[in-house]
Amino acid sequence: MKLNVDLTPRTEVPRWMRYGAPVFTILAALLVSSFALIALGVNPGEAYYVMFVQTLTTEFGLTNTIAKAVPLIFAGLAVYLPLKAQLWNIGAEGQLFLGAIAGTWIGLSVSLPMYALLPLMFLGGGLAGAAWVAIPALLRAKLGINEIITTLLFVFVAAQVKNYLVRGPLQSPTANFPQSSQLPAAAQLPDIPVLGYPAGILLAIVLVAVTYLVINYTRLGYEITFIGANDKAAEHAGMSKFKIYLLVLLSGGAMAGFAGVSELAGVQGRLRASFAPGYGFTAIPIALLGRNGAVQVMLAALFFAVIFVGGSSIQTLLGVPSAIVDIMQALIILFLITSEFFKQYSVAITLQEGADAGAPAKPEGEV
Amino acid sequence: MAGLLTGLANATVNASTVLILAGLGELISERAGVLNLGVEGMMLVGALSGFVVTFLTGSYWLGMGVAITAGGVMALLHAFLCISLNSDQAVSGIMLTLLGTGLTTYFGNDWSGKSIEGFPEVTIPVIGEFLVEIPVLGSALFQSTATDYAALLLVPIVWFFLYRTNIGLELIAVGEDPETADTMGVNVFRMRYLAVILGGMFAGAAGAHLSLAFNGIWSATMTAGRGWIAVALVIFARWEPARMLLGAYLFGLFNAFQLYSQGLNLTLSAGTPLAGFLNPILEFVMNPTIMSTYPYLVTLLVLVITVVRAENRELAQPSALVQSYSREAD
Repeated sequence: MKLNVDLTPRTEVPRWMRYGAPVFTILAALLVSSFALIALGVNPGEAYYVMFVQTLTTEFGLTNTIAKAVPLIFAGLAVYLPLKAQLWNIGAEGQLFLGAIAGTWIGLSVSLPMYALLPLMFLGGGLAGAAWVAIPALLRAKLGINEIITTLLFVFVAAQVKNYLVRGPLQSPTANFPQSSQLPAAAQLPDIPVLGYPAGILLAIVLVAVTYLVINYTRLGYEITFIGANDKAAEHAGMSKFKIYLLVLLSGGAMAGFAGVSELAGVQGRLRASFAPGYGFTAIPIALLGRNGAVQVMLAALFFAVIFVGGSSIQTLLGVPSAIVDIMQALIILFLITSEFFKQYSVAITLQEGADAGAPAKPEGEV
Repeated sequence: MAGLLTGLANATVNASTVLILAGLGELISERAGVLNLGVEGMMLVGALSGFVVTFLTGSYWLGMGVAITAGGVMALLHAFLCISLNSDQAVSGIMLTLLGTGLTTYFGNDWSGKSIEGFPEVTIPVIGEFLVEIPVLGSALFQSTATDYAALLLVPIVWFFLYRTNIGLELIAVGEDPETADTMGVNVFRMRYLAVILGGMFAGAAGAHLSLAFNGIWSATMTAGRGWIAVALVIFARWEPARMLLGAYLFGLFNAFQLYSQGLNLTLSAGTPLAGFLNPILEFVMNPTIMSTYPYLVTLLVLVITVVRAENRELAQPSALVQSYSREAD
């Protein structure tokens, strides 16, 4: 017997499977990727050692991982939040560009001390990201136009807007390259005193905590999850789909804007035409891996940060093309959606046997 | 001026072939209700595999065949995930684009910088010599590669297939209302598999056209977002093959404008009234980078109009697009 999949069988999935699936997914992706490594004559053991162990045990590796994790966490949340209401923000990459553009503009044109300038940049970047998703959000909430296509279309527009700006209004007056001027020191994210790690991670942790609390412990979070589980029932219960759809997409856009600002102010230091970190697309496997909660989103983002940093290490040290990271990302998504099916398939069996299938479950506070 | 127009026409027609091929594939797939966001990845796999085979065997026809097969194989994976496992179509598609980009960049390193003998430009026998002499459009339309001609021919063929054959009509039915189609005895799963795989084969051919005819070389991520334009183009064409051809030329023209925009001075001369006010606006609007956003903006507009006027059936998208189908569903 097969069960209908558009219900939310997640609560009935055995616990070991819920937590085991992401682990299995990652291991399977690494296993298959090792064939690609072998094909180029690289020892997978050595490559993974450099990729994971060296990245996590050296000061350089850890610092870089955390710096990369910051925008990835924000981008992950940008997809995770709408996903809670069953909406796909496929265009986080475009909102991220807008965040970086707004951040660059504010950072270069406003002169304030760091403690005022950085918050202003994040505010502006968040607003720009939210504004960039506003049209797709309105079209979805008002007219029911599929957000997958519209958010995606806006990615390509955003990329060209960025290209135009770094060759025009935002171009550095002293450079021949398509890039902005270097941000002043006050507009760059500092390191945490004593520890030496990028300070952006603190903001990321705060936002993860806020998201966790809102989703799990507030009425608003309940409404978002309810609408995601069954939008018709939610509307019968008097919830406003319009309001929730707008809210999750706009806050997702703001998160993506934060991702842009943190990449700009924490890693790149200036806006270049080549600024296209792809985090907006990596955010999709991050949100899928972390579907169970904001904390899991953060863990998944940290994992991808390790892969990114490790990917450039094996390129430098072993000559493996860093495109291996793209292959790994694709494989992780592939195994994730496959395991998703098997999770649902076994649900059908447990449902038939157990009378307690509908019993409220689980520490995550899932509905 | 005539030289400029001929150049524009050539560039437009050249740029549109790849969009026609990839777009027709996407159209077939979406008509059966399956969105394929993996076009870009499938095109890249087609481009590389076609190039490698042509390089090794010297036969561009064999290269094209392998590219079509490779696109079909990638689409088979998409079909399996979306149709059999009911996975999210958008996620599966993005995965395939990542996979195609990753695999071709990873394994294609050694193949960039090599050159091949690709599809030559030919004229149609007997009347070709005469047709090429037609001003402006002659050389654009009648002196092209075999793939250019094939793409043009495929437009009416796909139209005929969709609207005048039983399989085509069943395919459309499956995209509009799978439950009813199933009740009428159409095998929804098989039909969707067929459409998705066919779509992938078109994408593979589009990629091979780039590496074997358009550019004659392989370079990483050489599709440069054309797969995404194909997705937009299908919406622009409102899921109709004929309008797809029109759209491909329009999108190709935007592309050609970017190449020739220096030659087109469309600003007002200094003495004209309002020149000071209008010229900055004209410069912004005609800026090549800004112009490249127009296809996407026009597509968005078409999408909105399509949905707002959804009562007009002719305008609407396949009703079951992006919806997975399972028999036991209530």
